[in-house]
Amino acid sequence: MKHKMSNRDKTFWAVTVPVLVLFFAFNTLPMIKGVIYSFTNYRGYGSYEFVGLRNYLDLFTDARVGKSYLFTFKYAIAGTVLVNVLSLVMALGLNSRIRFKSALRGIYFVPNILGGLVIGYIFSFIFTYILPAVGTTFHIGFLENSILASETYAWVGVLIVGVWQAVAMNTIIYISGLQTVPQEVYEASMLDGASKWKEFWSITFPLVLPFVTINLVLSTKNFLMVFDQIMSLTKGGPAQSTESISYLIYRNGMDGGQFGFQSANAVIFFIVIVLISVGQMTIMNKKEEQL
Amino acid sequence: MMEEKKKTNWVLTIVLILGTLTVFFPLYMAFIIAFKQPSEMTNDVAGALAFPQKWSFDNFRQAMEVTDFWRSLGNSLLITLATIVLAILIHSIAGYVIGRGMAHKKSFRFIYLYIVSGMFVPFSILMMPLVKQTAQMGLGNRAGVILLYLVFYMPMNVLLYTGYLKNIPIALEEAADIDGASTWKMYWKIVFPMMTPMHATVAILTALGTWNDVMTPLVIMSGTGQNTLPLAQLNFQTQFGTNYNLAFASYILALIPILIFYIICQKQILNGVANGAVKG
Amino acid sequence: MSEKKTAKKVALLFMSGIGAISLAGCGQENTDGRVEVELVSYKPEAVDAFEEIAAAFNETHDEIKLKVDSPNEAMTILKTRFIREDYPDIVAIGGDINYSNFLDADLFLDISDLAEVGMVKQAYLDMEKELELVPKDGVYALPYAANAAGILYNKEMFEEHGWEIPTTWDEFTQLCAQIESEGILPLYFGFKDTWTCLAPWNALAVGLADSDTCNQVNLGDTTFQEAYRETAVKIRQLLDYAEPNPYAYSYNDACTAFARGQAAMYPIGSYAIPQIKSANPDMEIDSFAFPANQAKEDNVLNSGIDLHFSVLKNTEKKDAVYEVLRFLYQDETVQIYLNHQGGIACKEGEFEIPVELEGMREYIESGRMADFQDHHYPSEMSVDAMIQTFLLDQGEDSVDTFLTRFDKDWKRYNRDLIRKVQKYQEEMEGTR
Repeated sequence: MKHKMSNRDKTFWAVTVPVLVLFFAFNTLPMIKGVIYSFTNYRGYGSYEFVGLRNYLDLFTDARVGKSYLFTFKYAIAGTVLVNVLSLVMALGLNSRIRFKSALRGIYFVPNILGGLVIGYIFSFIFTYILPAVGTTFHIGFLENSILASETYAWVGVLIVGVWQAVAMNTIIYISGLQTVPQEVYEASMLDGASKWKEFWSITFPLVLPFVTINLVLSTKNFLMVFDQIMSLTKGGPAQSTESISYLIYRNGMDGGQFGFQSANAVIFFIVIVLISVGQMTIMNKKEEQL
Repeated sequence: MMEEKKKTNWVLTIVLILGTLTVFFPLYMAFIIAFKQPSEMTNDVAGALAFPQKWSFDNFRQAMEVTDFWRSLGNSLLITLATIVLAILIHSIAGYVIGRGMAHKKSFRFIYLYIVSGMFVPFSILMMPLVKQTAQMGLGNRAGVILLYLVFYMPMNVLLYTGYLKNIPIALEEAADIDGASTWKMYWKIVFPMMTPMHATVAILTALGTWNDVMTPLVIMSGTGQNTLPLAQLNFQTQFGTNYNLAFASYILALIPILIFYIICQKQILNGVANGAVKG
Repeated sequence: MSEKKTAKKVALLFMSGIGAISLAGCGQENTDGRVEVELVSYKPEAVDAFEEIAAAFNETHDEIKLKVDSPNEAMTILKTRFIREDYPDIVAIGGDINYSNFLDADLFLDISDLAEVGMVKQAYLDMEKELELVPKDGVYALPYAANAAGILYNKEMFEEHGWEIPTTWDEFTQLCAQIESEGILPLYFGFKDTWTCLAPWNALAVGLADSDTCNQVNLGDTTFQEAYRETAVKIRQLLDYAEPNPYAYSYNDACTAFARGQAAMYPIGSYAIPQIKSANPDMEIDSFAFPANQAKEDNVLNSGIDLHFSVLKNTEKKDAVYEVLRFLYQDETVQIYLNHQGGIACKEGEFEIPVELEGMREYIESGRMADFQDHHYPSEMSVDAMIQTFLLDQGEDSVDTFLTRFDKDWKRYNRDLIRKVQKYQEEMEGTR
């Protein structure tokens, strides 16, 4: 007997196929094209030729690309750690017995809804003018010069803004994590007379661990892709010390005529992101199982 | 219940209230600078923090003119709203179909992984080919940006919807099936309304992402004469000179719409974000 | 039946989605039957000038409509448009490496049949020729306005203190020391915007290195280690006379500081004058060529093509485009542009040199000028940021580090070009 597709199946496929086509056309296809361009010396316009693996070989010897990876990783690691520590502390604070709880939660979330670009411009002004003014008035040496102008510390400026914005989102996620911890658990521990610190490590933390996973993966990925803050705060300077990978790909790929070379950079960047995300999730999953 | 009445931790409350200064200070700075005149900009702390000599909306009027504020706002609204509506319609049914299909068929399991793995694809690798591709297809405009958002947010939203689907008993659908309703009808009548909490989450997460996004409109529609609000700010920063007061007036203008929206829908937004994390 | 219905509904959903999207894509303007010529200018600060010119053109032409776009970050936007294959008809860009690349990509039309080409000062046509990566037949750019870079100074301040205009490097450093001793800051930089590092660099390099240095390097005849050493040493010395930490301030900050009299001199190009004047309209500014050498006779003025017009090969409206170019090259139109933007006309004729460039007059009139060195640097190499890195480097062998990197990076970024140039050279020698 001929197997007839049920109505349900037909509907399913009728929905799935166009969605897949759309996804393929604007996600997978451009990715494949990107990989192809990565083997050329294309400038984005005009003619080009295939150059084999040259772009990839160059990537590993290009000091500027290397520097951008170093910066991006330094930034992402510091950012992820800072954001997660800060937001866990904030979440604990905002979830305890305080007044104006919802108003405070609301206020602390504001940085997250504001656009990174505009926030960057505002902070750029503060770093360039307000903080040095504070430094000069009160004779605080390290503030007297704009940190954005310092090759060594400019990345800290970018980090401050990135963290300022990212903490909000992670705090909310941790708060909802803390709310899944049943109150009875605490009550039980209080009877045992456990100290606050011990209570946190032995009860709260294990229970919010799944949220730590989410937050780590989310913030690592966001920090690795930093673009808006660079664009508005430093444009990669001073001395190319704050060029993130995304910024370099945009700057030199679109503007600098390195369409092909930066495509190769993007391919490597993609692989790096996949490896990191998968790695993080595997490690955290193992941890969760252990507990 | 008795525990609830336990006394407020005032020390912590005060610390947290003081902490909000970190949020308010930059906004306060932006706000007063936007009202000042260039001649009022001084290099000392007291002067920088002081109120402007007079509250004049001149800077705002000028900034609106320069950045063509209403048109940029219109574009931002159009793009964000269209993306949200289409995302809710298309991603929800895609999430539903894939989620339910996954239970029986390997092929859907594969499709699910294929789409969700798109979350790891950084925009940078798609950017340059997409610029070419959208242009060739006549999509180097607002429509193209909307379409791209639909694709970019598909992995996350499909993940959210399929996750939420686990809360909806399949028995309901089977009952409808026996009644002879088509799957299509059943979906819109029964399942779609039941996913309302997730629609809110999807709408909020998508909106926050698209409203503030710079890169996609920057590469897709630059040079078309159309700006979104953030793009207008970027284009306003010329290499050859900026008037800080005008610029800050423009920043404030760019921040106001989303701030108003946030103040009105604060509760829903916070819930939506939390929801997304728990279900995701 | 219900299956068909389902399919229809799915289709409807997607159609309505696409409908909504395409609606958003609409926005085509009607040009009331006139041929529209689109000109993209890379100088957002010249938007007023071009608006006036376009208005004058459109008033006098019923058949053609001139539309001028002056977006900010115009180069990026222009390149993005080229990537999209969305070409305007005319581009108003500078005579720099971007032009060289566009030309090399075969984007431009040969306009040697345009009579106006004969009205251009020869020096500028030569400058354009030097920009061709591999020499090409034909004319691909109509030079419009040139700028000059060196030192802008606060005339009032100089007269008040009786300072003399320096003509040699020693006189210059002595002057700086003297200004400093009188409690005034001699120089101001806006190095936060890396491109401004190129202003003193170019102004020094034209006097200290050959104008075809880059080409010599491509042919293997010299290295930057040799050619740029003195320039590197001297640009570093300038820092002693500038504000502390110039990397904190942007171009705009520097223009404003100079306009407010916070420094006596500002090493920048004439393109900064409108910006400075906007901060202080009454300021009296004059200028002099950078005295890079020990002997006055060796000094050369740094002057390049700030704006020229190139026609895109793909244009289907050549006649209309030529009409626009003819209009742009009328004396009155050139004057409109100069009135707004200052600068030096590339057209032969009696155009006034702006008062601010009075101090450079003898160089301009005698043609003792050389193009900006950075017009030959590939933009992806970011020499501006390299100079900034070098200036920030406090190490003892910073000059060597910088120039070694310059040579090394140059070879890498120009690999394809060097091959092309050498191949061309071989072919030329072969035919000889």
